[in-house]
Amino acid sequence: MSDWKEIVEERLAGLKLDTPRQAAIVDELAQHIEDRYEELRAGGTSEEEARRLALEGLDASLIRELYRARHAAVYEPPRHARGFMRYSLYDLRMAVRTAKSKPAFSLMVIGMLALGIAGNAAIFSLFNGLFLKALPFYESERLVDLDETAPKWNLHYVGVSNPDLYEWRKNNRTFEGMAFFDTNAFNLSGLAGTAQRIRGAQVTRDLLDVLKLKPFWGRNFLPDEDKPKAPKVVLLGYDLWQRLFHGDRAVLGHTIILSEQAYTVVGVLPKEAVFPDQVDLWVPLAADPNDHSGWYLNGIGRLKPGVTYEQAAADLLRVHRPGAPGTNKVNEITSPILTPLRDRYLGDYRTVSRILLVAVAVVLLIACVNIAALMLVRSTARGREIAIRTAIGASRVRILGQLLMENALLAAVGGMVGVLVGGVFLRAMVSWLPDNTPRWISFSLDARFVIFCVLITGAAALLFGLVPAIQASGGNSGNALHESGTRTSLSRGRRRTLSALVVCEIGLALMLLISAGLLLQAFHKVLHADPGFRPENVISFRVDLPRATYPKPEKILPFFQNLLRQVAALPGVQTVGAASAPPLGGHWGNFYVGDEDRPLGPNDKTPVVLQVVATPGYFDAIGMTRLAGRPFDERDGLSKDAPVIIVNESFAKMHWPGKSALGKRVRYNDPKSTWMQVVGVYRDEKHYGLDQEVRPSIFQPHLQIPFQSMSIVLRSSGDPRNLVEPARQILQRLDADLPMYDVRTMTERLERSLWARRAYSWLFGAFALVALVLAAAGIYGVISYAVTQRTREIGIRMALGATPGEVLTGVLRTGMVLVAIGAALGLAATLLAARLLETLLFGVSPRDPLIYAAVILGVACVGLLANFVPARRAAAVDPMRALRVE
Amino acid sequence: MDTPMLDRELKKGSAELLVLSLVEARSRHGYEISKLIESLSQGTLRFHVGSLYPLLYRLEARGWIQGKWVEKAGQRRRRYYRLTAQGRKVLAKQRQGWQQFAEAIRRITGIEYV
Repeated sequence: MSDWKEIVEERLAGLKLDTPRQAAIVDELAQHIEDRYEELRAGGTSEEEARRLALEGLDASLIRELYRARHAAVYEPPRHARGFMRYSLYDLRMAVRTAKSKPAFSLMVIGMLALGIAGNAAIFSLFNGLFLKALPFYESERLVDLDETAPKWNLHYVGVSNPDLYEWRKNNRTFEGMAFFDTNAFNLSGLAGTAQRIRGAQVTRDLLDVLKLKPFWGRNFLPDEDKPKAPKVVLLGYDLWQRLFHGDRAVLGHTIILSEQAYTVVGVLPKEAVFPDQVDLWVPLAADPNDHSGWYLNGIGRLKPGVTYEQAAADLLRVHRPGAPGTNKVNEITSPILTPLRDRYLGDYRTVSRILLVAVAVVLLIACVNIAALMLVRSTARGREIAIRTAIGASRVRILGQLLMENALLAAVGGMVGVLVGGVFLRAMVSWLPDNTPRWISFSLDARFVIFCVLITGAAALLFGLVPAIQASGGNSGNALHESGTRTSLSRGRRRTLSALVVCEIGLALMLLISAGLLLQAFHKVLHADPGFRPENVISFRVDLPRATYPKPEKILPFFQNLLRQVAALPGVQTVGAASAPPLGGHWGNFYVGDEDRPLGPNDKTPVVLQVVATPGYFDAIGMTRLAGRPFDERDGLSKDAPVIIVNESFAKMHWPGKSALGKRVRYNDPKSTWMQVVGVYRDEKHYGLDQEVRPSIFQPHLQIPFQSMSIVLRSSGDPRNLVEPARQILQRLDADLPMYDVRTMTERLERSLWARRAYSWLFGAFALVALVLAAAGIYGVISYAVTQRTREIGIRMALGATPGEVLTGVLRTGMVLVAIGAALGLAATLLAARLLETLLFGVSPRDPLIYAAVILGVACVGLLANFVPARRAAAVDPMRALRVE
Repeated sequence: MDTPMLDRELKKGSAELLVLSLVEARSRHGYEISKLIESLSQGTLRFHVGSLYPLLYRLEARGWIQGKWVEKAGQRRRRYYRLTAQGRKVLAKQRQGWQQFAEAIRRITGIEYV
């Protein structure tokens, strides 16, 4: 009857079968329903009731069942569709269904995988951004950092001198172009609003050409503008132009005041001009070729196509050695050094990010091992299903293909979730990055990241899926059928594989934990390292007097004295001082000779000494410890004839080992300079950061060397931040055009200097903990599965007289043997690998016995706990019930 | 069989065997098979459209039974299923399996009541 047909057709609409087949099914079902209906009616059932009963079962589940019937049974798709794609699609559908049928299992796999992949994705994109992604400059691989190195001065980079700049640029044959620059800060005034501090670069005019950029608006510097005593011109950075002039193109010809000097705007830099990093404007370097006074320039060169670093370095050395006229002696000491641009600015992060990458990879590996174990356990449960399939003719390849597809599906979902979560991780980590990360580094997603994620997900799928899949499909189907029919315990081979996986997990987790322990121990040691000064309640800010308005010491010194006196009078201020370079405030080097030094041989090193100019109050304000002598007083430096200095411990030890430095004399490395007398010795301060080495250093009175740029250091009785506003007002009253900048408490400076160590130590610790939890879950899962499988055996043993205690220890022993083997292997691997960490350990031994012992103990405890739960369950087995189960 | 769960599982496990047995002697159409199952089991087992036809198609897809449209005089077109050679082997194997299983159950349950 067409009536029934219509109903059936309507209900099967979702089936999407090819039409003749569908018509046949519809026919047959309609026929059946009609038969039933007629019969019911004949039996006296009411029309309505008969209709209801006849249509019974014609619901959504029918569609599903029909669907399954077509695809699942033999698991061979229709003959007309034997292509690879067709298989894959079937496999995929099957995989989705399998995954859905065991939601807890699937979620666990996806969760573990996502965790592992999220960590990898985040760390990799950091690594990618820092070290792999091309820099945002045209053919950036041809750009190199240019500098000079002076091993004899104990300095890796000294900077390029003016004469060398001109020599290198003129005579090299391997560079398409080279440019030099120095970054500098300016007081920008003369515009509306208070004076502000602006970072700028003094550059040679070829910098735009080397970077292959064109001015966004206006023009580049003219050759004549890049010469000493040329008219002052400026190229505004794009952002500064927007900020100050709101993108007004009529800005050309405008005048801005930089450190009290008028500069004419000649152009606007393009947005892409992000090198030198974090500067708002460029002014010409206008280097004087005859000025031999110092090494201070940074350089960047563009190699000619096809030129290697080695060729370029050799070429520069050839140019450099003879030097410009008059520089001969020194050019023996310094040599040009070429560094890939990236390494120069990011080298510090390389070891750290590599190590982190290894750590997350290990976490992922453990996650995969765990999943493999889960899969293995499950494939045992699925043994019968697979055996039936094999028995009715499915080929081994087909089954393997299907299992792999199931894994691929889980991996894909886990991967996607992982990448999303990884994005969140990454954002958090990027926000921890310090301010001095170059702005030309970006962590946006790129093709390399996508490839990495796909690869790592695929690798994970293979890793956790292959072993169980091979095991599952490799078995003899008859055996499996037989086995699953009679007993459900694990085959010997499979149990061995599981044990091996657990051992791996323990080993890997142990390795991560020890590494993390070492790193955290090192971090702890750094945190508690004695800084050599008392950072609490200290704040500092910097004031820079422009040469134009403060040209002479007669103007500079009274200004600072005034400022210090007024600030000292603020309520809450205990002591005030000023220094050219307080701790973590940068390095200014010089060379000194002590009066008892033996004459230097030709190969002797003259290490560079940190030179700090300080006012009398500085030592108390920063909280340095005096070992001998006295601090500066108000008279020191007044007389040119009797200059005095204060030295640190390292300096004293270097020049007068075993003797008192007091009263000894020091002069600059120039026989004509005056001898200066040591009046005080102070403890070393960790000038370059808590985890950095201390250099010998010398302090000279401000009155003697009237620096224009000083850091004002305030020690307060309470929160030093409360002093900032009053101090700013004082500065405003003294000179409204002077900005106060670099305002930070000392504790904050220390914190910030440790950000990287803090970040990687804790990250490593977090990864290690995740690894431990995963490994514990792995042991727990495997052992409790084994216990479940052995319930019958345990039942028999107990029936034969084994006590619960014996069963408990028996199970524990099995588990703990695995833990012990894993720990031993992990220990061996760690002893080999920990050396890689050595540079980061701040003196903590990579074989620190305490950490090793603590971690081994911890892993043993966690292992014991993970074993104990299933062991206790085993001991609680009721022998009667256990025997009845099968 | 009081628990519906157990009922369903048992039915699922045995359904193939039932259908194969019924078409062993001669070919039958779907409605006939469902009627036979119901009547021979005295109403304990019932298959409605939703479970019977998927099963038939599955068995057909495996090549254990084969369906064929037949038009008899005075009757409508119906699809008749017959056992294939392969189906015959499977049936023999499944029969044996069920017998062993039933025997095992009988022994165990029997012992328990001793």
